[in-house]
Amino acid sequence: MKSRYVVITAAVVTLLSACGVIRGDDEGSKGAQTTGVTSEPCPSAVDSKKGCIYLGSISDLTAGPFAALAVPITEAQKAFWARVNKAGGIGGKYEVDVTKFVRDNKYNPEVHRQVYNEMKDQVLGLAQTLGSPTTAAIIGDLKANSVVSAPASWTSAWEFEDVIIETGANYCVEAMNSVDYAMETYKPKSVMAVHLAGDYGADAAAGAKIAAEKNGLDFTAVETPSGATEQGRAITEITKNKPDLVILTTGPADAATIVGQAAAAGYKGRFIGTGPTWNPALLKSPAAPALKALYEQSAPGKSWAADTPGHQAMRDSLPGVTPNDGYTSGWAWAYPLKAALDAMVASGDVSRKGLLAAVKSLKTVDYEGMLPPEAGNFADDPNTATFRQTLINKVDDQVPTGVSMAKDFFVGPTAKDYTFDGPCFAKL
Amino acid sequence: MTGLLESLIRGLGNGSVYALLALGFVIIYKATRVISFAQPALMLAGAVAVSYLAEVTGFYAAVLLAALLIAGVALAIERIAIRPMVGRPVFVVSIITLGIDVVVRVVVNGFIGRDVRQVGDPWGFAQVSLGPLVVQQRWLAMLLVTAVLVTLLFAFFRYTRYGLAMRAAAFDQETALAQGVSVGMVFALSWGLAGFLAAIAGMFVGTGQGIEQLTWVIALKALPAIIVGGLDSLGGAVVGGLAIGVVESLFQSYQGEFAPWLGQNFAVVTPYVVMLVVLLVRPYGLFGTREVERV
Repeated sequence: MKSRYVVITAAVVTLLSACGVIRGDDEGSKGAQTTGVTSEPCPSAVDSKKGCIYLGSISDLTAGPFAALAVPITEAQKAFWARVNKAGGIGGKYEVDVTKFVRDNKYNPEVHRQVYNEMKDQVLGLAQTLGSPTTAAIIGDLKANSVVSAPASWTSAWEFEDVIIETGANYCVEAMNSVDYAMETYKPKSVMAVHLAGDYGADAAAGAKIAAEKNGLDFTAVETPSGATEQGRAITEITKNKPDLVILTTGPADAATIVGQAAAAGYKGRFIGTGPTWNPALLKSPAAPALKALYEQSAPGKSWAADTPGHQAMRDSLPGVTPNDGYTSGWAWAYPLKAALDAMVASGDVSRKGLLAAVKSLKTVDYEGMLPPEAGNFADDPNTATFRQTLINKVDDQVPTGVSMAKDFFVGPTAKDYTFDGPCFAKL
Repeated sequence: MTGLLESLIRGLGNGSVYALLALGFVIIYKATRVISFAQPALMLAGAVAVSYLAEVTGFYAAVLLAALLIAGVALAIERIAIRPMVGRPVFVVSIITLGIDVVVRVVVNGFIGRDVRQVGDPWGFAQVSLGPLVVQQRWLAMLLVTAVLVTLLFAFFRYTRYGLAMRAAAFDQETALAQGVSVGMVFALSWGLAGFLAAIAGMFVGTGQGIEQLTWVIALKALPAIIVGGLDSLGGAVVGGLAIGVVESLFQSYQGEFAPWLGQNFAVVTPYVVMLVVLLVRPYGLFGTREVERV
């Protein structure tokens, strides 16, 4: 008889526990004020009297194609928020933790969604969600739950999402400006966009197409798979059609293979690659001479060595690292989130909805000179708010990141006049 | 016409790499009836070993040392993880090789790091003129080295005692054992040879473009090659590898012009399409042994 009671009691306890009626305090919920915010201090708090705001980071930390950028991005953001905490935190009441919920997405949307689901009830927002297709896998949930997130990608789709607080011009604008820059500098008559599939490559290719049409240039788009050994067709298309200008939107190894082999086959046109096509390690590759001769990099922000207070603060906060513009991007991406958290705490509504309202109130963000303040406009409609300035870098083996500025922030005529009424990649 | 011939040479060059990898698969399969999925990891390990050793010893010595090193690694894997499984279903052993592949790649990835590593080859993207043809030197190097290695390998099987022992064991293990052939030695030798060939293939994959953590994926193209050639045919592995390389290269060059309706990147799947077609027509591959089972 007794054993029957034991079994029944155990069953009831198990059932209630499974339903969440009985639960122990897990670490994330100690002194919880709202989702992802506790009155308890952060695990490595500077001031133990302050509460803690937990932000998650989902990045390509090991095996994916952007790991060379993603690890520095993540490290830079840890350093950024450590600096914020040392300087008094958010509104003098909270510190920010970006170290407890850091997960690897392996640049796989399924993994991205899985790790997001694991952390979503314990973070206020995401300090980083790396990749366009990966973030697309969770965007529905981010919107449904008002989870404000800083992306680590520059697709134009983010201009149309309130919860995504992007920094710097999108790939579409970047490619438009690249074509306009080439018109001014090299006077091309034909443009070819060599791009990966999806809303990274296709976004830039669409921008190049829009700019080519505006400038009356012949345009072709060549979609290419990822992987240095898979670029045979792209190289053939370039050497066969001999476009005057190639806009590249690939990974760095793919870009080096394309530029190196096309140049070896006698191609003499110009390449302009979007930000992620560059990696300083390419200067050690056999493609280095061709890259120096034919390649420039378009970029949404200034490189590591730039002389601005923001860049200086970043360099001071990351002593001893091998310079890489992953650090620069990661650091710059954190400014709008800091501005939004400050505004949220100042408003008194410390919650996801409060943070989203704070984001929507931002007309400018202080990037400490890394970007113009108007790059942080999240209040206006997408067409007005879209930031349209980019830079052009040239290969330079005298600086640690391998590139130095060739043209400062500018807006080309195409981007200036273009009306953003939807993501560009849908128009390719 | 020159474009076609240049495309063919590129295909034969890349196909040579697939052939070296496919030979490794077939050698192990013939000796043990196991398809070893550890070949991609051994290929990557070989390329990484060359990239480190080349800084110390120079490129050519590094290639030889790396190939021997990876052969040693393969021997160790066979002794530690495969030999104890002798007598177990070959399916189980194949699954074990999948695990070995993952483990070795995780270790090797640590040595690759996050950037692209260069193998220090002398060819880069340099080209050479052959009459009207302009082709990359590395493709010719791939073709030449593969031709030499295949010749040596076939001579080894044909003329040496160990080669004879391997052929005997592949033909009938029990009878070979009864005749005094050390089947254990045959297993070890097959893994060692496969490791050696995978390292050379890895080095070639890294020429020009370098190696990164995802480079191992290329080795998967050897699977269609062995199915096309026949799982138990060394000659078939070579022909299959070269055929896959040529078909892939021709599709890269001409599919956009002649069959644009197939989509922009059909060349990526051509190895697998060729494999499916061959499977439909000759399920045992072009040169494989037809198995007859009495029921």
